[in-house]
Amino acid sequence: MLLTTSVGSLPKPDYLAKARTQARKGGLDPKALRKLEEQATREWIAFQDELGVDILVDGEQYRGDMVVYFAEQLPGFKSSSLVRSYGNRYYRKPIIVDEVRRPKPMTVGWWTFAQSLTARPVKGMLTGPYTIMDWSFNEHYPSRRATALALARVIHDEAKDLERAGAQYIQIDEPAISTRLDEIDLAIETLGIVTKGLRAKTITHICYGNFEALAPKLMKLPVDQIDLEFANRKFELLEDFRKMKRFTKEVGLGLVDVHSHRIESVEEVAGNLKKSLKVFSPEQIYPDPDCGLKTRSVEEAKEKLRVIVEAVRAVREELCSPRPSVAGQAAR
Amino acid sequence: MITTVVGNFPKVAEPKYGTAVIGAINSWQKQELSDDGLEHVFQDVTRAVIKEQEEAGVDLLTDGQIRWEDLVTPLARKVEGFEINGLERFFDNNVYYRRPILRRTPVRRRPIFLGDYLFAKSCTTKPIKVVLPGPYTVVRLSEDRYYKNVQPFLRSIAEILNEEARALAQAGAMVIQFDEPALGFGRPPLKQVVEAINIATQGVKAKTALYTYFGSLNGAFGALQGCRVDLLGVDVVSDPKAIGAIKKQKRWTKELALGCLDARNTKLESVTELHALFDVVKKLVPEDRLYVNPNCGLEFLPYEPARQKLNRLVEAVRRYKSSCC
Repeated sequence: MLLTTSVGSLPKPDYLAKARTQARKGGLDPKALRKLEEQATREWIAFQDELGVDILVDGEQYRGDMVVYFAEQLPGFKSSSLVRSYGNRYYRKPIIVDEVRRPKPMTVGWWTFAQSLTARPVKGMLTGPYTIMDWSFNEHYPSRRATALALARVIHDEAKDLERAGAQYIQIDEPAISTRLDEIDLAIETLGIVTKGLRAKTITHICYGNFEALAPKLMKLPVDQIDLEFANRKFELLEDFRKMKRFTKEVGLGLVDVHSHRIESVEEVAGNLKKSLKVFSPEQIYPDPDCGLKTRSVEEAKEKLRVIVEAVRAVREELCSPRPSVAGQAAR
Repeated sequence: MITTVVGNFPKVAEPKYGTAVIGAINSWQKQELSDDGLEHVFQDVTRAVIKEQEEAGVDLLTDGQIRWEDLVTPLARKVEGFEINGLERFFDNNVYYRRPILRRTPVRRRPIFLGDYLFAKSCTTKPIKVVLPGPYTVVRLSEDRYYKNVQPFLRSIAEILNEEARALAQAGAMVIQFDEPALGFGRPPLKQVVEAINIATQGVKAKTALYTYFGSLNGAFGALQGCRVDLLGVDVVSDPKAIGAIKKQKRWTKELALGCLDARNTKLESVTELHALFDVVKKLVPEDRLYVNPNCGLEFLPYEPARQKLNRLVEAVRRYKSSCC
């Protein structure tokens, strides 16, 4: 119970960040870059293993943007120039110019590599069709719906291949799911196409959402587990779940804020986890950070993961041993 | 027919004015670049985007809002009483803004956009339109921990915007625009919004515009005709039903700004498509009271498609004018 995990991305060490810049400018060949990406992946797997995280991620050391990574491998997409997403952050928003096809698996190679490094399960990480649609320009399909449906088939095939390779957990991120209220049902329908017939445990991660709009639909999400940012919202979501009549899915419980440099204390995280246990059962909860940790420094990310694992350990002990308060009273 | 843009323009253009803004902001954040150094880069890029609009043949320009992080941060940074908080999604876009929190009575101690306007004016002989966030959108995008009540919050922001608009008009701004994308979502309190707009525009000696974009106005044109503004902007791309609703209007007392090219998708509209839209609105608003522009700011597009859209807009208007006269 209380199996610890991460949401997906982990920060790239300095040597890899530099190498990526160099490669972009043509100063480093792809093979040399690949070697460094493998080295960084090895380091992150080893770190999670030693720390005792239960379900590992490969850290996405070879990915840039979560949509662009897939668009670059799918014929039908054309890369474009920089578009700003906020503040001083830009990304190359892809353009769909033709029918989207998947000539070969996109994530199975890296997943197999990462899984070969550890005996613990490694999650397969995909971006959902609705989010890929919403975060791309479309010059080919007649509607947003047609685009999302086409992408759903492609991502389903990828999920199937991950499962065939042995993935026990497959996460399909849909951060865009609540962007347009009139399209939540489309997002659910297309996510259902992706997860249809999968035996692996399926997870979706949702962030920056309009949670009020999504709340009544949560049980309709065609996945086993829903991963949400609790810490960044000061655990106010717990109240929303408390009010819900019946929530039987598993929940990925974001326990540390990925947008803050501050390292939460073990006591604070354990306290919030215990608060969450009043709303969810221990079997339901998968403790993790709020979101991908790639925006933090390597050291901050490691500390944030460490705090989660230690807090979970402390809470597990409490749950398994007789209640300290009762024991204390008896001794007195 | 007057061609214009809604507001922002891509801050980076790899093939033209480059990515200097990104580097400059990074260096400035690390305190490796002075305020003056950053301002210098903003001015260079502003000059470049004004030139882009001139070259495209646009009639009414903006400064491209190169300094703007989002629609509300520049105001929240300069008006006392606000604190700038975490990221939130900007309406239905994969674009995020920093949510201002109101802690105290908001006060405008100094001009907000006046300096930017004066600089932009010095870059061109064409008229520069000044864009301000509308009072309702400021209120909707902020968290109110002070009034805890929409009406007084709306009123005080409208008063602040009015001070700013008066100062801008005095400095020579001929057109002052208020952006109200928030009107496209949920059920806006239209009566209060109209009141706020009327406070913001009161005594402003310039042409005033109210621009709506994104979502759907659900035919609230009637109510918005009650605003004391000269020009009403409508986005018929995000809400295709809006064109039908415009058609049904018996009376249109304002000038109309038609948001007719999709500035959120790279697919380029044809001249024929645009002419079909011009035909519809021409029946309601005479051509000399008609403005045409993309449906929203061009910053949602990369530079090249943004430029192509502007060129297409100007081309469509030129051909329309030559075909009917």
